[in-house]
Amino acid sequence: MPNLTMEQAMNEALREEMRRDPSVYVVGLGLYPSTGAGATSGLVEEFGELRVRSAPMSETVIAGSCVGAALVGMRPVAELHLADFAFCALDEILSKAGKWRYTHGANDGMTLPIVFLEGIGGYVSAASEHSQSPLGLYWHSPGLKIAVPTTPHDAKGLLKTAVRDDNPVLFFTHKLLTDEEGPVPDDEYLVPFGVAEIRREGDDVTVVATSYMVNLTLQAAEDLASRGVSVEVVDPRTLEPLDIEAIVESVHKTGRLVIVDEDTERCGVGAEIGAQVMELAFEALRAPVGRVANPNLPVPYSPPLEKAVLPSVATIEAAILATL
Amino acid sequence: MDGGRSVEPTFVEKRELYTLMVRSRAFEETAAVFAADGQIPGSWLSGIGQEGTLGVIGQLRVDDYLTYTHRGAYCFIGRGSDPKRLLAELCGKRTGYCKGKGGRHIADLEHGVLGKSGTVGGHAPIAVGAATAIQNRGGDQVVVSLFGEGTSNRGTTHSSMNAAAVWGLPVVWVCENNGYMGNVPASVYTAVPDIADMAGGYGMSGDVVDGNDVLAVHEASQRAISRARAGQGPSLLELKTYRLRPFGEGGADLRDPQEIAAWQERDPIDRFRAHLLDAEVLSDAEARSIGEETDREMQAARVFAEESPFPAPAEAFVDLYA
Repeated sequence: MPNLTMEQAMNEALREEMRRDPSVYVVGLGLYPSTGAGATSGLVEEFGELRVRSAPMSETVIAGSCVGAALVGMRPVAELHLADFAFCALDEILSKAGKWRYTHGANDGMTLPIVFLEGIGGYVSAASEHSQSPLGLYWHSPGLKIAVPTTPHDAKGLLKTAVRDDNPVLFFTHKLLTDEEGPVPDDEYLVPFGVAEIRREGDDVTVVATSYMVNLTLQAAEDLASRGVSVEVVDPRTLEPLDIEAIVESVHKTGRLVIVDEDTERCGVGAEIGAQVMELAFEALRAPVGRVANPNLPVPYSPPLEKAVLPSVATIEAAILATL
Repeated sequence: MDGGRSVEPTFVEKRELYTLMVRSRAFEETAAVFAADGQIPGSWLSGIGQEGTLGVIGQLRVDDYLTYTHRGAYCFIGRGSDPKRLLAELCGKRTGYCKGKGGRHIADLEHGVLGKSGTVGGHAPIAVGAATAIQNRGGDQVVVSLFGEGTSNRGTTHSSMNAAAVWGLPVVWVCENNGYMGNVPASVYTAVPDIADMAGGYGMSGDVVDGNDVLAVHEASQRAISRARAGQGPSLLELKTYRLRPFGEGGADLRDPQEIAAWQERDPIDRFRAHLLDAEVLSDAEARSIGEETDREMQAARVFAEESPFPAPAEAFVDLYA
């Protein structure tokens, strides 16, 4: 099995899906001339400028045009670069892509097969408007599916599933993961939505994490193992749909739950998963649910400040130990 | 740029266009009664007085696409939508186009009506997307995208016009300039009196047309539509018109009554009927017959909407995902 970076794996996914289905196309900023890097690299050479559309500087047009194209049978993929920039198109993503089918009563079998590619994450001294991970904001809004891959394998398989889904899918990739390598099968495969992956098995505490938070959590779990604490790491891979059954099953085994999320804590992923577990498995919990997240601050620029705000191996370990 | 093709509507086409205008007006009057007596539980924004826009919509092909504004029934009537299902939707009934979930937000994909944006101007990038699909497939359909002069303020409008021009997309942007945003006159919020002037900023042609002269609208839009079909890119048409009802049915109208009365004299349906009678395209008896047939159609729509059931509460929980 060859090793690919997450971006290379996503590039393969897009290339395969565009070859398979002529209604699939990509639209976004700076798609040609091709820079030789990124998930869309080299696509224009194979598929041409109509199917790899370099767009004007308008997230509104990029995202909103996907809605119009999807309504008449296309399967667009929007390259929005950063989730921060996609805020310029929140009306198009939240209220159009997410709600158009429902509002119009699924008129005439209406579907909205759109993938919105958005980069997330801090730890790169990019300050408040290039470092956000607004998973909670999107998860709050009805009608959107949300994929958050951690490995190149999952990025490719989830992206192919996303392109084939008849609903709008937000596809979040972390800046620090795009160049990370991992094994990717040669043969075609899909990763289904709503199926969590147990990244590490353990008995004492369940930690739910996505994306780069999985990597930090695995480091924390390794450290704690040497101190006799056995941590189970559950990566949901998609937030919508959420494999709550896998999380609840793990909590029944461990009796303790911590959720790690790079997003701001308030109304966030940790709040939602924690509430669901309390509703479904309160009797299994032997300690209050713990959360590790950004303490509701803009992400600052200077490395020591950024480190103080975003989750770290140390803060994850402390949260795990607090449940014991 | 090619001047575009323009052909006088035939005898039959003129009669069909007149019939669409009469049916649209009759639907509006029915909706106004339903809004007044509460059978339409939400708001209804009447398009009475702006039926000249049918000069554009009425000449579209069945496979063309339309995005529309908050105002008026002519967008649906002109595309061939069924007044029964339109009125049922406004009443929140399950037999409506959106099974009661949309109300004024109506899609009729079978007739190329792509749906309604709750934010004004939200439909502009959607029009760009539908035109992108046409271009990628190598088709010769067009997208007509209606908007008001107030919506010309929005960034969505400008960035969508730019994208359509850059990509050479088959979009006909149609500004229905009725002079007011709510009760606020356009001079308060728009820097230029003619929205068509904005076309120059995006390298496309922009024409100002008397929106209450349906034949003038037909002629100008035919040129724009034929350019779009020929792959010559987008155009902007500005229809100068006026709504003859308040902003929303039942709402206050703060406009000058003399101004309203003056525009009443320029009612697009009255003007077109006078032309057709004068040109002997239509007789008095035929005009009456069209009116009576329309009355029967709207009576049937009323009965259908009234007798249709509301959706069961459980239906609120379906249709979110495909």
